[in-house]
Amino acid sequence: MTKAVSTQAELVERSLKKRYRAEKRFKIAGIISISVGIAALFALFIEIFGNGIGGFSQTKIKLDIVLDSEELEIYDVNNEEEVSNGYYEGVIRLALRKKFPEVKSRGDRRKLYSMISDGASYRLRDLVMADTSLIGQTKTFWFLADDDFDTYFKTLLDGDPYTARVDEKQRAWVDQLIEEGNIEKGFNTAFFTSGDSSEPELAGILGAVIGSLLTLAITLALSFPIGVAAAIYLNEYAPKNRLTELIEVNIRNLAAVPSIIFGLLGLAIFINLFGMPRSVPTVGGLVLTLMTLPTIIMSSRAALEAVPPSIREAALGLGASKMQTILHHVLPLALPGMLTGAIIGMAQALGETAPLLMIGMVAFIVDVPSWFTDSATVLPVQIFLWSDSPERAFVEKTSAAIMVLLLFLIFMNTMAVLLRKKLERRW
Amino acid sequence: MIKMAEDVKDEQKMQSAEPSAAENDSAGPQDMSAKIQGTVGRPFVDDAKIKMRGVNVFYGEKQAVFAVDLDIKENEVISMIGPSGCGKSTFLRCINRMNDTIDICRVEGSIQLDGMDIYESKLDVVPLRARVGMVFQKPNPFPKSIYDNVAYGPKIHGLVSRKSDLDEVVESSLRRAGLWDEVKDRLDSPGTGLSGGQQQRLCIARTIAVSPEVILMDEPCSALDPIATAKIEELIAELSENFTIAIVTHSMQQAARVSHRTAYFHLGNLVEVNETDKVFTNPDHDLTEAYITGRFG
Amino acid sequence: MVIFDETKTGDKSEMDKMHLDQHISQQFNDDLEQLREHLLAMGGIVEGQVEDAVRAIETADTGLAEKVLQVEEQVDREEIELDEECTAILVRRQPAASDLRLVLMVTKANRDLERIGDEANKIAKMAIAISDQGGTSPRGYVELRHIAKSVQKMVAMSLDAFARFDVYEAFKVVQADRQVDQEYRSAMRELMTYMMEDPRSISRVMNIIWALRALERIGDHARNISEHVIYLVRGMDVRHTSLQEIEQKLEQK
Repeated sequence: MTKAVSTQAELVERSLKKRYRAEKRFKIAGIISISVGIAALFALFIEIFGNGIGGFSQTKIKLDIVLDSEELEIYDVNNEEEVSNGYYEGVIRLALRKKFPEVKSRGDRRKLYSMISDGASYRLRDLVMADTSLIGQTKTFWFLADDDFDTYFKTLLDGDPYTARVDEKQRAWVDQLIEEGNIEKGFNTAFFTSGDSSEPELAGILGAVIGSLLTLAITLALSFPIGVAAAIYLNEYAPKNRLTELIEVNIRNLAAVPSIIFGLLGLAIFINLFGMPRSVPTVGGLVLTLMTLPTIIMSSRAALEAVPPSIREAALGLGASKMQTILHHVLPLALPGMLTGAIIGMAQALGETAPLLMIGMVAFIVDVPSWFTDSATVLPVQIFLWSDSPERAFVEKTSAAIMVLLLFLIFMNTMAVLLRKKLERRW
Repeated sequence: MIKMAEDVKDEQKMQSAEPSAAENDSAGPQDMSAKIQGTVGRPFVDDAKIKMRGVNVFYGEKQAVFAVDLDIKENEVISMIGPSGCGKSTFLRCINRMNDTIDICRVEGSIQLDGMDIYESKLDVVPLRARVGMVFQKPNPFPKSIYDNVAYGPKIHGLVSRKSDLDEVVESSLRRAGLWDEVKDRLDSPGTGLSGGQQQRLCIARTIAVSPEVILMDEPCSALDPIATAKIEELIAELSENFTIAIVTHSMQQAARVSHRTAYFHLGNLVEVNETDKVFTNPDHDLTEAYITGRFG
Repeated sequence: MVIFDETKTGDKSEMDKMHLDQHISQQFNDDLEQLREHLLAMGGIVEGQVEDAVRAIETADTGLAEKVLQVEEQVDREEIELDEECTAILVRRQPAASDLRLVLMVTKANRDLERIGDEANKIAKMAIAISDQGGTSPRGYVELRHIAKSVQKMVAMSLDAFARFDVYEAFKVVQADRQVDQEYRSAMRELMTYMMEDPRSISRVMNIIWALRALERIGDHARNISEHVIYLVRGMDVRHTSLQEIEQKLEQK
């Protein structure tokens, strides 16, 4: 008897080792796969951050501008047209020439002028138009450097200068400016306050962000009520028959349809059939509504199904009507789940590019849209556009825009989690 | 009598088989299509509150309740016992048409509440359920405050117009459910925060707040501990002064403790209805005897 | 006097009705079966006690009488044990219907059996007293022997009825008890006459009367047991009921 027991124990002991080894291998496999995932994520983040962080700063050059009315060709400060048409570029060039008097040749001068962004003269004009008393004074301004200089200066600061677009002389000028303390790196406000531009130092994401918000507003306003209503009907009212089954299957299928198909659908229906304008947030919102509806309907149905049947029974047993049961008890309990689904759907819509390409929201739009019917583009499309641009400076803009987009997505997903936590009730 | 012993063995072998095969008593020369040779005991009473005749319930093609005839008296506590799947809960849920919520469920026969046929096509279930309340197996308070739980019924039925009246209804309902002293200081806290037994009493308070005439209880204590169960049973005894109560229970002891009459269901048939004392000391039907003495089930 | 058709005996189905061996819980089956066997065993002891006591008085055998007195202690122990078993079943199983009736019946029959033992004890004491007094007057012995025979048979029958759950057998015991009562009364009248005729025999006859009285009580207890058997099998209470009514009720089923 004792012997039998001991052999049994020994056998178990032996098999234990084997089991532990197998378990260890199993665990290690899991850890490896997670590590790979995390490593990939980190590589992505490091890449984007490394590229993008520069996008948030901008090189500026200090110039003393003599706002001479002769040079500006403004003789009547009250004549708005005259003020607006002033030769601002001239005074900037003058200031540059003053700063680098040794530059004489025509070609060198052109190179010198190119140090300052094309946007500088517009900025100066805006400033003067806002305060005409500036005319005749000498003022010191910080102007944006042109993208090539910007790139060179920033890479120089990082210790690995990118010299492909600047020659010896230009580098010497920059060195001189550094010595005099007339060049510095500052926060890139233009990136957040302006729309797209062909000049990288002037290009911003405001237009795209506003476009995205307008599009999402339309999407949310349409898809949430429609989705919830559809889910309630399907779950609570619809009889269980072939037709509803077919509808259900199709909703599931729609969720798996590639988003570009929705873009084609939008193009065919909203633009070609209904004659709506292209590139506007309204149409974008409609298309994204089509795309997110299946997601919202499915998550809403899941939320409705998660409401315990005992609550329904309790309400019905008390004599509540079906609508009272749904409105008073089922919906409040399902709402957190529905909202989470909606936010996740919105996040999906925010990151969507393909369907919007089809309806023309890919256009180069400089103005910041102010209404649903203004031409607009959206963040991911903006990223797509920039990533396609040849200028070296757009690389960092692209990454910076990606960071902004990621920030929005993280914010929305966090909101979803928080909302769920806050609203979720235990029963 | 000899047949009986065989029947019991048959039962054990073919629980799922055709009920008629197992139910054949030697009682009478009824035709073979009859599923059971009537109900033994006292299914009928004078001046019945609820009068049920020939109630058949189907789930799709499957018949769950077979031609049940039963009367329930006013202010009576009647318990329904039987093995799992014997149709007792299904039958109970016919009385306030809770089976309507199940798509494939079909009810035949007549159920009259004070002479009114509750399965008439024109009848609205909302007022019916206000008259015939229900307490469920699992305590299911709404995830709202204790006050709102009790006030919900009176509110949706428009039973009270003023807030003070509502307060009164809430208090008296909670008092009658024996819960007032335990919760009077925290009426605003969620009903789901109470203990299981308290939750079930809250559900009973919620039900009686509507002032129904009949209360159906579907295994109200199956999720509760013995102390909480004892409290609910005590409550049932008190409530029976004002309400007609039909209770389905898995606990034979509970049926014996709380009810005046006991109905035994077997494979969808109502086998025996008798005074509870009679059923538990000397049942008329051998199936009842076999069930309550633990010989199958 | 026999009202009942002698050919009628408990049919097999009455026994089947109890089917003690069909519970889901095998332990419960065993408990109930043990309870039944225990009661029968105790019945056997008591039966022997009565037999010994009667023989002791008939043969003036003091040794046998002493043995009866000793067995009594054993009967008392058995009674307590049996009661404990019943309590245990009530507590653990909460029996219902026929099981409940069995347990109730056993507690009651247990008490009746113990009383029978007590009565047998009394008879044994009388046997000792009579043998101490000496003398050989045969007065009262005929009656005693006759009643003793009937009563012994009743005890045996009542135990038999319980063993087989046979209500008809039990009913016969109830009938027989009426007969014994009558015989007891007529024996009393007779012995009274003896005592009046021969006052010297009073103390001796009184001992016989005590023994007769004890026998009559034994008969009552046997009837009680039989009534419990009827309650056990049919669930109806036939105490304080006339023979005709009992018979009607038995026939109804």
